[in-house]
Amino acid sequence: MNTAMADAPGPPSAASPPFRDAGHGYDLFGLRPATLSRAVALGRPLYEHYFRVESRGIETMPASGPVIVVANHSGALPVDGAMLCLDLLLRSSPTRIPRAVADRFVPLLPFAGTLLARLGVVAGTRANARCLLERGELLVVFPEGVSGVAKPFRDRYRLQDWTVGHAELALRHHAAVVPAAVIGAEESWPVALRLRGARLFGAPYLPVPASPLPLPVRYHIHYGEPIRFEHLPAEAADDPAIVAECAARVRDELEELIERGLGARRGLFR
Amino acid sequence: MRPLVTGATTPLGGSIVRMLLADPDVDHLIATGVEREPPAGILPASSRLIYQPVDLTRARAAHDLLFGTAQDLGVDTIIHLATHRSPHGTRMSHRLDVDAARELLLLAERLPAVRHLVFRSGAEVYAVRHSAPDLLDEDQPLELDPRAPASVRDHVEADLTACARMGTGRVAITVLRLAEVLVPSQGSQLWDYLESRVCLRPLGFDPMVNVLSLDDATAAVRLALRARDGGVFNIPGADTLPLSRIAARWGRIDLPVPGPLLAPLYRLRTRVVGLDFRYDLNARRFHFGGMLDGRRARERLGYRPSQPIDWPVAVASPARRSELRVDRLERESTGSHKE
Repeated sequence: MNTAMADAPGPPSAASPPFRDAGHGYDLFGLRPATLSRAVALGRPLYEHYFRVESRGIETMPASGPVIVVANHSGALPVDGAMLCLDLLLRSSPTRIPRAVADRFVPLLPFAGTLLARLGVVAGTRANARCLLERGELLVVFPEGVSGVAKPFRDRYRLQDWTVGHAELALRHHAAVVPAAVIGAEESWPVALRLRGARLFGAPYLPVPASPLPLPVRYHIHYGEPIRFEHLPAEAADDPAIVAECAARVRDELEELIERGLGARRGLFR
Repeated sequence: MRPLVTGATTPLGGSIVRMLLADPDVDHLIATGVEREPPAGILPASSRLIYQPVDLTRARAAHDLLFGTAQDLGVDTIIHLATHRSPHGTRMSHRLDVDAARELLLLAERLPAVRHLVFRSGAEVYAVRHSAPDLLDEDQPLELDPRAPASVRDHVEADLTACARMGTGRVAITVLRLAEVLVPSQGSQLWDYLESRVCLRPLGFDPMVNVLSLDDATAAVRLALRARDGGVFNIPGADTLPLSRIAARWGRIDLPVPGPLLAPLYRLRTRVVGLDFRYDLNARRFHFGGMLDGRRARERLGYRPSQPIDWPVAVASPARRSELRVDRLERESTGSHKE
């Protein structure tokens, strides 16, 4: 095992996160620490000065072992995912590399698909998630999926269709689930129009944002306590009722975090 | 053990024959190839080695081999490596890749001494799609698209033929789906791709590719022979890197080109230069990768890739680059230089 970001400019934290080099400076999924480090250096001004991200509760993030961070999702482009991953990279201690799970159409996108792979993003297949969790990595998933980013502005902070794959994975691999409420993203870049006929590169629709750039709404990220299903056997992952129950528990915890986060917020830009 | 190795005149066949001859448990070994005499340097000289030229596309020849020399010698293990090296699916390649494999599987069952058959398959049998996982395990869908190139369909049919016979008779069948073995004359499309000075790839895509060394492929066969209980196993290699890095490490110029232009450009190049590389065979892999997950082979055979490819272009680590820079400065300051 190697350490990430060792040879790249401006490591984001004193401790470099562990990185499984497949022999040529990349991991099996295409993550390249040098590219990730450059992306962190580029994204940091947005994180610190534009969105002025504040986060709470990251101290309870497990330092090692398989973790699934489950968050709400919104926006024309996944800026919320980028800020959440930056926050995990910059503030988790010891630093853990987040492996965001993207929709399956992402590998079809020229340039973007390759770039995202270099940054640690993986396509949302069960086998990919299994492999990463078995290696004790930290996944970032958005169970709302496309319905989350497609929700109208009036439905902001209301969780949409809630897939249960994260609960099944957590049960099967004894992974801790950490709910993360991202407050601010849902007002930052609302979608005005979804062109559903324009299925470019397999994307379900083409988003037309209400503003040319995301608004500088302050992001507040609230991490919940890790939820553990270790008292249940791995075979429980095959029981649809148990999986649904676990997924509902994660959803309830996330909704509570969102409520608390919205209540604590003093204003959109503060 | 008394093995019969088909396709022994390929680099992989030669390497496996050498490995078997180094094993004191191997009494005698029959190696077959289509050549009248084995190419120089491929097979070692040994009193325990019997080379027999056989055209396996002729059912009678295959029958006579098994019920002649093989039966007389008490062959108990068959390692079937013979596949057509050309990527252009032809009637002859179908006869070798599919018909000969089927015939061999049937004949092996009728030969009382044979207990184990190792069948060499490859990563090309898997359907590579954008929606597939990055790592393909043995349960992933195979390439059954009727529009797939004929040579791929032949390999899938042969693989499925071997799999379909598993557990139906007394012969244990092991199917090894090897990652691309990066050597010449082995039917490696990646090798053919790297034969060009300029390697074109789809603009905007740089998939991760896994390659297998001859030593690791040989080790996998050795472990499969030892396990003897059959099954399907992916055999990945020790090198996983982006396609662009493969070209660079091979000393080639990596040139991204808009995807739709690649097929006609490579067709034109094949017509003009006569390369064996076919873009249509590799189009999906050049977009989405599709590497083999070797977990089952690791758990059941104890296989772990350990021998990386001997890349022609070495890439020094940053620390080593710094050392080299210091060395150069020192040499320049003392006025010495490398001859």
